[in-house]
Order: sequence, then C-alpha cells, then structure tokens
Amino acid sequence: MGSTISANAFCAVSRAGRRLLGLVSVWAAVLLVGCTNQVEVKGQFPTPVLDKLPLKIGVYYDPEFRSHEFYDEADSREETDWIVRTGEAQVEMYNTLLPGMFEQVVMLNELPRRDRVDTVLEQDLDAVLVPHVQELQYSIPNHTKINVFEIWMRYRYELYAPDGELLAEWSMTSYGKTPTAFLRTAEAAVNLAAVVALRDAGANFAMNFTRVPEIRTWMDAREQGPMATADAASDEEETL
Amino acid sequence: MKHQLALTMAGAALLQGCVTSTVDEVLYQGSKAEDLVGDASIVIMGRRHASDYETEPDFIECVGKHIQRRDDNIRVMSELEFMNELYPWFEPRTAPLRPADIQRMMDVPPVRDKLASMNTEYMVWIDGETVRTGGAGSMTCGIGPGGAGCFGFGTWGNDSNYEATIWDFTDQEEVGRMSTQASGQSYMPAVVVPIPIIAPVQGTACDGLGDQLLEYFSAEY
Repeated sequence: MGSTISANAFCAVSRAGRRLLGLVSVWAAVLLVGCTNQVEVKGQFPTPVLDKLPLKIGVYYDPEFRSHEFYDEADSREETDWIVRTGEAQVEMYNTLLPGMFEQVVMLNELPRRDRVDTVLEQDLDAVLVPHVQELQYSIPNHTKINVFEIWMRYRYELYAPDGELLAEWSMTSYGKTPTAFLRTAEAAVNLAAVVALRDAGANFAMNFTRVPEIRTWMDAREQGPMATADAASDEEETL
Repeated sequence: MKHQLALTMAGAALLQGCVTSTVDEVLYQGSKAEDLVGDASIVIMGRRHASDYETEPDFIECVGKHIQRRDDNIRVMSELEFMNELYPWFEPRTAPLRPADIQRMMDVPPVRDKLASMNTEYMVWIDGETVRTGGAGSMTCGIGPGGAGCFGFGTWGNDSNYEATIWDFTDQEEVGRMSTQASGQSYMPAVVVPIPIIAPVQGTACDGLGDQLLEYFSAEY
C-alpha cells in the first residue's frame, strides 16, 4: 500500500515537473526571441540625376552580398542581440543607382572567368562590376538612451573586363546616422541609419567612379580607340 | 468649455521655462528677395557635413512650416523631396559648400534641366544645433501596494545656435546671412507627480529664424 502511495506521489511530482519544465522551456523561448532584435532594412532609393557614362556594364551580386546581414551578440543581460539584414536593400539601391549611371546595365548570374567567357562575351559588355561589403560597424550611443544609431560600411568593388581580367579594384566607405531622436522603436532607428548609409554609399560610388585612377586610365584608353587600349595594356604589362 | 480651454492654455504658458533669444542679420543686396515670383520656390536645407554634429531635420521642417504658415504664397520645398529629386548632389558628402559650386552641377545637363523644372530660386542652408548644457538635481520614483510616486527636483539647460545662409540660385551667389541664438533652463519638480516645466529653446530659435527669413522672402512682412 505504502509503495502504491509513493508511486502515485512520484507520478504526481513527475507530472508537475514535466509541466514546470514545459513552462520553463516556453518562457526561455520567449526570452530568447525577446532578446534578439531583428531588422530587415527597407527603404526607397531615388533614381540618380547624372550624365550617363557611355558604357554597357554587367553587374554581378554574389550570394553573400545579396543576403548580407550583420549579427551583434549582446555583451550583457541588459543589452540585446541584433540581426540587421541589409542584403535586399543594398541590391535594391544598386539596381536603382546603376541604370542611372551607365547607358546600359545587364544583371549577371555568374562572374566572368577567363576559362569560360562565352556567357559574358555574348552580351557584348564593356565591363563587369562586382560589389562586396568588406566591413560593417555600428554604434549605439548608450549614454543618451535615445534611438539614434550610427552605421559605417566599407565596400570593395571589382571591375572586370568581359574576358575576366581584373581592370580595377577599389574601396569606398559610407556612413549613416539616424537623423532624428524621436523614432518610436530602436528597430526603426537602425533601419533609418542603414538607409542613410546606403544612400551615402550610392552617392560616393556615383561621384567617385570615374576618379578611381585605374578606371580613369581605362576610360581614357577607350575614348582614344582600340590602338590606345592595346598600348595602355602593354604599358601596364611593362610596368608590372 | 471655453473656461477649461483658457485655463489649460494659461496652465501650459505658466509651465514653460524662460528662454532668451537673439537674432542677427546681414544682407548683402537689398532687404527683400526680388526673384520670388510666380511658381518660384525656396528650399531650406540642413548642413550635415561636419563630423561632430548635424543640423536636426526636425528644425529644418519647423522653419519651413513657420514660413508657410505665415505666408502661403511662398512655396517651400521639403528638404527630403529636394534631396531625392537631385540625388546624389545634395547628400551630406556631396552637397555644395560655396555658391560657386552650383556651377559644377549646372555643367551636368540632367541636373540643369531638373533645377530648371523645379524653378528653385533660393536655397537656404541652416547650420547649427541645439545642445544640452548641463543638468543638476535628482529624483527618486517608487511603486508600492498603495500607489506610485516620485520625489525630487531636476533642472537642465539647452542652447540653440543656428546660422542661415541664403543663396540665389540664378545668380549663384550668397545674398544674406541670419543667425539666431537661444538658451533656456528647464525644471522638473516632483512631489508624487513630476511636473515638467520645459523651456522651448529650439522652438524659439525656429520662430526667430523663421521670422527673419519671412522678412526677406515675404512681400507681406
């Protein structure tokens, strides 16, 4: 009899324990979800007002660029983790910017390679642009307790000839800060800072593309005709 | 109902901190804008090229609304709309710093055409910020079964300092400068309920600068 009672008591304790464990698990899951702020950056990017460059440019966004995000792990219990997805927004920004900069823009599904140039050559492109996010930093002014964030990004760009030869490689930075302290949520403030940073990236790229020395040399050679291009190539080889 | 409204307004006026403000003005050619006729518009922009501060977009919006509220004949284009229409020429890193830089933009045919279609006659650049100048006091708040409440006293100051530079787009030259400084002290006494007595420092600076710009742009002032 005594053993029956203790068995029932054990079962009751076990049931209560399972319930408690279940509740703790749900609570832990809620806590875990609640401690991570997720932002999918969304914004509208204006079409640039520029004199278009007479170039037919191919653009290749690699998978890392398309799905770029940054994750920041909280240092203490008072802080929260952050996941900010910038990939989609930056593809949208470049898709708006580049057709305003170049006479023709062709989206490519693969990078030009020296051993397989047919796909790119078929399109009769002048060059292929490949943007990368090299570095991203962000800061929260904790001491003010207001929703103002800063985002700093460094982009690396590669410009390839249609046969896969690297014509130029350069870096540019961009910066964005939440322009107002009156946003209701930290997520909205981060989103706005990212949109400002992307606008700045576009402005920097558009204004300085032709100032990159290798691109300037390449474009000058193109303007002077095929002979000049060949001369410029041989000069570069000699220099190397 | 009227009594309640009057009491509320009187209460609100009493609960505002004091602000002192000064306005300076330098105009190089005449005391009135001459070309602001027909559909011509002005645009008010904030300077954001410095690394340590940015002119607040809210302040720019406030000055624009102040002008339009007082004289609806003046067409004030919103800052963001203008920046979007002329992207990327007026972003913080690319915006012209001198009137002579306008020519650089005019050399680009799409920009020239866009500016002509927008008919922007004057551009006002506002540079400055409002900062908190220090605080003192302490406040303790608590919550218990019988209710919640705060006790203490806090005070802080704000300083606004803004300068507006007016450019004539057609003549590509600076035609005037105006500046405003305002400072004030806000208080927050708390006996159970905190009562904020806020000094509207930025609002006063906005009104001061807005009035000076109205005197230049409006035929009615």
